[in-house]
Amino acid sequence: MEKIIEVSDLSYRYSEEQPYVLKNINFTVNKGEWLSIVGHNGSGKSTLAKCLNGLILPQKGTVNVGGYVTSDEEKIWEIRRLVGMVFQNPDNQFVGATVQDDVAFGMENHGLSREVMIERLTEALRLVRMDQFAKSEPHRLSGGQKQRVAIAGIVALRPLIIIMDESTSMLDPEGRKEIIQTVRALNRDRHLTVISITHDLEEAIHSDRLLVMNDGQLIREGKPRDIFKSTELLRKVGLDLPFAIKMRNALRAKGVPLSDTALFQEELVDELWTLHSSM
Amino acid sequence: MDITFEHVTHVYGRKTPFEKRALDDVSIRIPSGSFTSIIGHTGSGKSTLVQHINGLLKPSEGKITVGDFVIHAHEKKKDFKELRKRVGFVFQYPEHQLFEETIIKDVCFGPMNFGVSDAEATKRAEESLQLVGLPSSFWHRSPFDLSGGQMRRVAIAGVLAVRPQVIILDEPTAGLDPKGREEILSLFDDLHSRLNLTVIMVTHNMSDAANYSDQVIVMGEGKPLLAGSPKHVFLQEDLLRKVGLDIPETMLFLNKVLDKAGSKDKIPAFTIDEAADSVISILNGVKDHV
Repeated sequence: MEKIIEVSDLSYRYSEEQPYVLKNINFTVNKGEWLSIVGHNGSGKSTLAKCLNGLILPQKGTVNVGGYVTSDEEKIWEIRRLVGMVFQNPDNQFVGATVQDDVAFGMENHGLSREVMIERLTEALRLVRMDQFAKSEPHRLSGGQKQRVAIAGIVALRPLIIIMDESTSMLDPEGRKEIIQTVRALNRDRHLTVISITHDLEEAIHSDRLLVMNDGQLIREGKPRDIFKSTELLRKVGLDLPFAIKMRNALRAKGVPLSDTALFQEELVDELWTLHSSM
Repeated sequence: MDITFEHVTHVYGRKTPFEKRALDDVSIRIPSGSFTSIIGHTGSGKSTLVQHINGLLKPSEGKITVGDFVIHAHEKKKDFKELRKRVGFVFQYPEHQLFEETIIKDVCFGPMNFGVSDAEATKRAEESLQLVGLPSSFWHRSPFDLSGGQMRRVAIAGVLAVRPQVIILDEPTAGLDPKGREEILSLFDDLHSRLNLTVIMVTHNMSDAANYSDQVIVMGEGKPLLAGSPKHVFLQEDLLRKVGLDIPETMLFLNKVLDKAGSKDKIPAFTIDEAADSVISILNGVKDHV
């Protein structure tokens, strides 16, 4: 599998008097995968995300993105074009007076020609299903719609990677669904690599791979199905469990002999049924 | 302190092209000492509704009563200080409003603003910080060195130090991790029962609304569409879906199990434990029928 990001021996602290908030982190990201990073507030997830597009430069170790090292000042704009970032608050990211101005902002910064900008603008808005709103002003949009405009602004720069830093946490359930569906389509159809920092475990169980952070360290890495088997460890680092696992544990405690394989609710329902018809 | 709304309408930007009727003839009652959750899609009028309870917004039409404090539409300028002393408001991301050098000073700011003496404010601040569970070793440190969840608790202590009888929470758990979320919610659950505080919570989380409230009010397009106990409200799945809302995840799961059993029943179970019991009885029920 082609590696698109390689993080080696990364350590970071905000100032010399303070302790390291990221400690000796190593991992890689494969091209086209959906990688989720989970961990409690203050575990270092967001700081790590900022290292991946050079917003923060580590004191130790290196971050290699698509062949460039983030410490290379000459390449920093290239890296930021490759790695788009969607932040938490939809209102802090809207800079344009209208949807189309907002999407064009990033392209202007990267010096694209007007013809190219018009073409990409139309395409990006269509991909996030906001083409009907090109001339709308931000206060006319819902939080989910604003986040989709932020994603369009990134998509217009043709990035390889999109990082979502709790991008759905301020949205209502409907807005949350809109964003996940939009990004899932980009991941599937355009092979965009997705790195999602999230507290939403029902979202995280659908990722290809999961990283678990605790106190600045990367403590687990693997497929969601394997990671969520270590229920005790997750509880210890302050993480919740996906719904199907909580339900399974409760049913087991009440004497229903379930296995520990089900991760999705549908799987649990199926297993209950199989169990039931064989009783 | 009962809270009632009688035919309250609120219009934003009256006589401008942006005129919007955010509340439309709302009549509701929030009993003293209750825990009421207000749910609704973005733009349904939830926040506009609660901002009327402490006079941040004034009604365009109608009347609001909070205990013996009455707010009428078309009233001349009014002093809301007495009302705001009784009704505390915890905004979204309240930690963004911290500003003092030390935690204790920050918590004192609220009561001192209402004319409480230095000594009394400090006493109340200490009590409130104990209530929110922040150890005294922290009190003289800067609030900005705390974690997000701790900062939020300091901000909440600032509201509690005014000793309100009613507290309004606008999405109190937004942006917190699962552990922080549970801490904040059990804090209010505890304050509600221990201090007999009336709690009004605006939330997007159906499970939180179901698990903590006595009463749930569903807002849609500026009107209360449904009000009642969590059981009553969350059994109206079709209506909730129509206004872009969901039912708690426990009920969503039970629906899947019921579907498989070929049943059209709805079961209002909100905790994992209740839901697990229901799953077992559904399975047993199916067996009995075969």
